[in-house]
Amino acid sequence: MIEFKAVSKQYPTGQLALYNVNVRLQQGEMAFLTGQSGAGKSTLLKLIALLEHISDGEIFVAGQNIQQIKKSKIPGFRRNIGMIFQDHHLLDDRTVFENIALPLKIEGMRPQDIRRRVRAALDKVNLLRKEKEYPMMLSAGEKQRVGIARAVVNKPSIILADEPTGNLDPDLAQDIMHTFKQFNEYGSTVLIASHDHNLIKEMKKRIIVLRKVIK
Amino acid sequence: MVAKYTHQANSPLLKGLAHHKEAMIHSLLRLWHTPLSTWITLAAIAIALSLPASLHLFLKNLKSLTDDKREVPTISLFIKQGVSEKQARDQAELLRELSEIDKVVLIPKDVALKDFRKITGFAEAIETLDENPLPHVLVVTPHLKLLGDPENDMKRLARKLESYSEVDIVQMDIEWVQRLRGILRITERVILIISILLGMTVLLVIGNTIRLNIENRKEEIEVSKLIGATTAYIRRPFLYTGIWYGLFGGIISLVLVHLALMFLVTPVNELAVLYGSNFTINGLGIKNTLYILLVSSLLGLIGAWLAVGKHLRNA
Repeated sequence: MIEFKAVSKQYPTGQLALYNVNVRLQQGEMAFLTGQSGAGKSTLLKLIALLEHISDGEIFVAGQNIQQIKKSKIPGFRRNIGMIFQDHHLLDDRTVFENIALPLKIEGMRPQDIRRRVRAALDKVNLLRKEKEYPMMLSAGEKQRVGIARAVVNKPSIILADEPTGNLDPDLAQDIMHTFKQFNEYGSTVLIASHDHNLIKEMKKRIIVLRKVIK
Repeated sequence: MVAKYTHQANSPLLKGLAHHKEAMIHSLLRLWHTPLSTWITLAAIAIALSLPASLHLFLKNLKSLTDDKREVPTISLFIKQGVSEKQARDQAELLRELSEIDKVVLIPKDVALKDFRKITGFAEAIETLDENPLPHVLVVTPHLKLLGDPENDMKRLARKLESYSEVDIVQMDIEWVQRLRGILRITERVILIISILLGMTVLLVIGNTIRLNIENRKEEIEVSKLIGATTAYIRRPFLYTGIWYGLFGGIISLVLVHLALMFLVTPVNELAVLYGSNFTINGLGIKNTLYILLVSSLLGLIGAWLAVGKHLRNA
């Protein structure tokens, strides 16, 4: 499903974030990406979502070399990837429902389908009662679950999460991880960047360790 | 393939329509929810648009003074001394037969003298004269519809009338029209320059407003990009905002122009009566109204397009 072949990434500042990374994730697999701060976890996720471009090597997603995707096709490619961020990236002037509905609106879905899908996603993250509330009114855990609902509402084949439990207490973090596990069981390939080793061990999934490039 | 996991509910056409509908409603609601800044921007646009619209209206009315049949320039034929009133009347009959001539009015010299006494107040001086020094006059109104180039054709007609043996002097009452037309041509260009400058002002006002909108919604744009929004999807609501600004600014400017017009109708009519004219102020009309709304909306669209385009290029 996702394959890195000798991938390196150097930022324009000269900082080498990744060097000669080779990794392969099967379709429907769930894995954790871990490593020190600055090891390139976030960079690796961004490369998959084409938010950054590689300096060397090749990345294949579903058999397609993603570097060859035309610029105009990148938004369509991203719609098949659900991304979750540590700081949620929710829009404060929109309700929970509207935040989650955003990917579906971009997709051009009919309002009745949007309503059905958003409610289903809210149900999966146990936030049905909060659909009319604004992000400011939610706890950190609830915000993260809204972020997850928005990432999965489009039923993406790949879910990428960057430190999704970073600001959460252990119980909430565990809840969130179980939510990811559920989506993985529905068939999505899930890759989570985290440095919470205890939590990762508990999940009993494959762990990919990135080491900081020293050059 | 990744694409097999996509769930597109609609055909591309319906999808496009849904996007447009969403962008239209969303951009309208945004204007509605920020009334103060919206009204300030609309007022600036309306004032900038109402000036060229008013000038255009002024010019249109001024032109109607020269184009109107009631105000057609005339040619005065001064008949030679010694020609009798009957001969002058026959000459008038003869001229009426010409296709270029619409109307010929004879002013007999006795009537002219009477009018002269009344207007000038030289009654006593005129009494001392042995005979009436004024000639008979034929006032010729040409058929403007038959004239291709009024200015040149009038001159040609005047030369033709000069050739009649009874005619002493031919005087064209066209000079004022020529001067007025000259002034109108200059005014037209001045208005065009002002319109272009104010149009650019509208463009800048809308462009700057959209730029500020983009700044305020940077986060939303970023999030939309992250979850797969296309450039067109991001650009669309801003373009509609620009169109709304232009359209509503245009509507307000039309209201301003018509209010000013209503304010002027009575004094202008009173002045026209004093000049013995039945001139009345004309409004912009449907064609010009639609033209102003179209141009203002287009200016809004272009202003927004430039602002969003710049942001997306820099992003």
